[in-house]
Amino acid sequence: MAKYITKRIIYLIITLFIIASVTFFLMKFLPGTPFSNEERLTIEQREILNAKYGLDQPIPIQYMNYMVNIVKGDLGVSFQFENQPVMDLLMNRIGPSMQLGVQAMIIGTIIGIALGVLAAMFQNTWIDYGSTFLAILGKSIPSFVLAALLQYYIGVKLGWLPVASWNGFSSSILPTIALACFPIATAARFMRTELIEVFGSDYITLAKAKGNSRGEVAVKHAIRNALIPLITVLGPMAVGLMTGSMVVEKVFAVPGIGEQFVKSIMTNDFPIIMGTTLFFAFLLTVIILIIDILYGIIDPRIRLNGGDK
Amino acid sequence: MKKSKYYLIIVLALTMFVISACGSNNDNEGSSDNGDSSASGEQVLNMVETAEIPTGDPALATDAASFIVFGQTMEGLYVLDGEDQPVPAIADGDPEISEDGLVYTFKLKEDAKWSNGDPVTAHDFVYAWQRALNPDTGSQYAYMFSGVIENATDIMNGDAAVEELGAEAVDDYTLEITLEQPVEYLNSLLAFGTYLPLNEDFVEEKGDSFGTNSDNMLANGPFVLTGWDGSGLTWTYEKNEEYYDIDNVSLDKVNVQVAKEPSTAVNLYETGEADRTAALSSEYAKQYANHEDASTFEEGSSWYLKFNQERDGEETPLANENIRKALAMAFDKEAFAEQVLSNGSIPSDGYVPRGLAVNPETGEDFREESGNLISYDVEKAQEYWNKGLEELGVDELSLDYLSDDTENAKRTAEYFKNQLETNLDGLTLNLENVPFKNRLDRTTAQDYDVVMHGWGPDYLDPLTFLDLYVTDGANNQASISNEEYDQLIEDAKVTYANDPEKRWEAMLEAERILVQEDTAIAPIYQRGRLTLIKPYVKGLEEHLFGPDYSLKNVTIEK
Amino acid sequence: MNREEIKEIPKEQFEPAPIDHEAGERLEKPQLSFMKDAWLRVRKNKAAIVSLIILALIVIMAIIGPHLSGHDGYEQDVAKSNLPPRVPVLENMGIFDGTQKVGGEEVNKYEQMNIEEYYWFGTDSLGRDLFTRVWLGTRVSLYIAVLAAAIDMLVGVIYGLVSGFKGGRTDNVMQRILEVISGIPNLIVVILMLLILKPGIMSITIAMVITGWVGMARVVRGQVLKLKDQEYILASRTLGAKNNRLLFKHLLPNLSGVIIINTMFTIPSAIFFEAFLSFIGIGLQAPSASLGTLIEDGYKTFQFLPHLMIIPCILICVILIVCNLIGDGLRDAFDPKMRD
Repeated sequence: MAKYITKRIIYLIITLFIIASVTFFLMKFLPGTPFSNEERLTIEQREILNAKYGLDQPIPIQYMNYMVNIVKGDLGVSFQFENQPVMDLLMNRIGPSMQLGVQAMIIGTIIGIALGVLAAMFQNTWIDYGSTFLAILGKSIPSFVLAALLQYYIGVKLGWLPVASWNGFSSSILPTIALACFPIATAARFMRTELIEVFGSDYITLAKAKGNSRGEVAVKHAIRNALIPLITVLGPMAVGLMTGSMVVEKVFAVPGIGEQFVKSIMTNDFPIIMGTTLFFAFLLTVIILIIDILYGIIDPRIRLNGGDK
Repeated sequence: MKKSKYYLIIVLALTMFVISACGSNNDNEGSSDNGDSSASGEQVLNMVETAEIPTGDPALATDAASFIVFGQTMEGLYVLDGEDQPVPAIADGDPEISEDGLVYTFKLKEDAKWSNGDPVTAHDFVYAWQRALNPDTGSQYAYMFSGVIENATDIMNGDAAVEELGAEAVDDYTLEITLEQPVEYLNSLLAFGTYLPLNEDFVEEKGDSFGTNSDNMLANGPFVLTGWDGSGLTWTYEKNEEYYDIDNVSLDKVNVQVAKEPSTAVNLYETGEADRTAALSSEYAKQYANHEDASTFEEGSSWYLKFNQERDGEETPLANENIRKALAMAFDKEAFAEQVLSNGSIPSDGYVPRGLAVNPETGEDFREESGNLISYDVEKAQEYWNKGLEELGVDELSLDYLSDDTENAKRTAEYFKNQLETNLDGLTLNLENVPFKNRLDRTTAQDYDVVMHGWGPDYLDPLTFLDLYVTDGANNQASISNEEYDQLIEDAKVTYANDPEKRWEAMLEAERILVQEDTAIAPIYQRGRLTLIKPYVKGLEEHLFGPDYSLKNVTIEK
Repeated sequence: MNREEIKEIPKEQFEPAPIDHEAGERLEKPQLSFMKDAWLRVRKNKAAIVSLIILALIVIMAIIGPHLSGHDGYEQDVAKSNLPPRVPVLENMGIFDGTQKVGGEEVNKYEQMNIEEYYWFGTDSLGRDLFTRVWLGTRVSLYIAVLAAAIDMLVGVIYGLVSGFKGGRTDNVMQRILEVISGIPNLIVVILMLLILKPGIMSITIAMVITGWVGMARVVRGQVLKLKDQEYILASRTLGAKNNRLLFKHLLPNLSGVIIINTMFTIPSAIFFEAFLSFIGIGLQAPSASLGTLIEDGYKTFQFLPHLMIIPCILICVILIVCNLIGDGLRDAFDPKMRD
């Protein structure tokens, strides 16, 4: 186990190193400078500014500096937010993103499981079709459409919840719902498949033979066993939530990381792009690692030696 | 079964951990409370903006959002009034001007104070200007001093010490400015953000963190900025208790919320959570054009097609005057401004925008006096087109049309492709919508044929526009060259610096040559903005240049 | 039956039948190829069949749709911009009659502006026919999705096959590479790639493929590992089959199930992703349109001109739903456990 975890952490570091390097060089390929007022600058001034941001040095040196700073936890200084360290900018924004992500994940998983269980228990009935349809719909409506619809109908027309802004729990409800659709869909579809498989296994037949009712079998035996593998979809779910957050945060004006990332893409703010990329990559790889380890602990059938024979 | 209990416990533990982690982060979020719903009679204004504040440091600011903040929280020697005329602010009345027009001596108001109680002195101006020009500061607007204040250019380029700047504090309340040459539009420059004063002690104390959040900023204007964490989507302005003219400020508090999606902004307005939107995107502008709360304003930026006459060291077909004229006349500006943009933008037959400057003698607007230099006329366009093609000896032309990749730019590009190709036989326009930075790169390298270009004023004078197209000008980028034009601009800058009327004539003639005679550029429109504002918000002043608006005189009359 | 009658039965009938050894080897059911077998089972899945028909219709419309309305998808006429949908016949029934709410009042835009033509899905802000554009968009979206899925499939299958089949050191190295690549979030790679490449059909496809093939490679490798130890492979090998034959004749057909299912799920996610990219502003460039860019355009005005958003949105949902249902159907069909 310890060996496995060490190995995985080494991969994690390699992955992050590659991502950091790739992002760095890709950013160097991008056209333009980070100076928003570039159009009006003289050549001398551009040189002065380049020197200020260390952009006049040869690329290998810039790369070295960048890497060394990352190890120190310094992601550089933003171009668009003058003099603000990227780390601070990320930290300012992390709270709302995390809150939304966790809320959406919890709500999504719970509703998703419920939908999946219903579908599996009433396989091939209209309940099944309905829940499958809902699940796929949740996955197929682009999140910005959903967000816009929620905002307009619930926020403006009905006036039940705040339209936008970040101001206490009530303003987090709509974005959470918009974000939760993806986890709902993922969990529901996964649950359905797993349960159907479990329902086909011998011990369920036995439980039925002993005279347990359908509901009892499902609750006591089947669902529990189907839940374990659900942990494996938490990774893809996290990815989906990150994607969704960029869109949903923008629509609901939530001061989160995704919103900032989209803005920095538009403004060529390389340090933020690189910092956020690394941050996302780090978060995801760590989540996936934790999930794998958890899964190994819970289900001993999974060998943790990474597929080696 | 035991296994699933493990699972539940672990998941639960993990969830708790994450929730608690984000809970702690939420605290500082909650502290910037800004959702006060204004009870009737309360002087609270709720506004929507479209972008965050990138910086609270006037030397480093480059964008509208920052300048709007300075417009509310800081005052320079002059500020713009409701008619965009510079009026003395920190300056106590107009300055004494030496006979050669080079030395200005300002008396400062002695009751002006910073929000920490320090007085605003002449040293604050000298310090701020020297700081902005210091290459170490990295100000992108330092050039605003260049050619105006003595020695500014050398200091900016690192060739002279900052102390050599032609600005001196004679005593605490007397500021003496020495110019390089007489400058007609000095007052409007003095109202610009980069010319704002700074409190030296405060700035030095904060060091690099100056202007990175609302605690690291000082105000000397009607409001102080609060609740801004450096990159957040919300902030507030509160009445500045130290402001010298506080009796004329009626707003107690202004809540600002950033909403980048136009629909979100409109929704906030519709539900009454906002009292004013920022400029609406053209889709929304179209829908709200007849709304009772709609208010339009002509901005100071002028948009036109720029024709590149030399690419890869060779003349392009656009070096042909007839081809340029044909292109400039072959699109319907009016339909474009009204149907496509529909945000209050007005079609323009000239380069210098309306409302920027008036004839020093007659008071007539530059645009009015200069008149319609080139208008939409398909027949004439086709005539020029055929003549041009004949001269070039070709039947068809394929041109690269370069523009930004913003939504409006894309729709504009599609419109122009359609118009020009329909009206001019044998023309193919290849649309290239690239990111802003990319567009700048390509225009600098002159790697394009036609580019959609917009320019906003740096100061209130036609020169801020006309200066662009002198031969080899830094922003010419199209090999536009005309000796007569160069001479006229030189005259306006130097020869007639002390002769407003002749200077005016020179600029009028220069525009005529640029647009009508040479048609080096094809004017399209002057940008407008349409905002929604509740009828009970009175006294909001919008500006052509500098901050988009001022809130000092706003009152809420519910 | 009495004894008399029994006596009457001819003796020949009591002779033992000739034992036909051949017949013992003969199969009762017609021999089915793997694909045929699967098809038979898919056929029983009504949802999948209906989905298949709908998908086929959409594909056909994507090909011929842009020519049906008689309006060009790129031709602009700002005088006819933002028209609501109007369909002959249906308009008499009070729907799709070209009315629209402007400032709270129902107005018939067509009558108001004296327009004779019918725009079945209305027009966009530049007066272009939405019907034509929607199908043009569908074409582009499907093209991107299918292309991405096909490249994913090609790369993933080859990688997975080689890795799984070679085994040993090769497999080990290839797996490590895979692990690192899959650690890089897809989303981020795509965004970074699009910042550098000029956004267009090809670059979007390439960006999506860069990490997209990993899933396929994984699944294929897993299957290969499972299959290659099975008796029939051993038998074939014993009979002297070369690696190529083993791979293409024996392994690949048996892998086709997982490959097809995986591809069926790649297509919708590619379509979805493309829509997302449009929203954050690095999607397809004007004037070409995909469903994603159409929805994004429409989204901006959905409060007044809902049709601009809803029509392409419905289409994208339908495509995604049918792809998923077909994928489900195929999965059930290929799953040996579901064999009846």
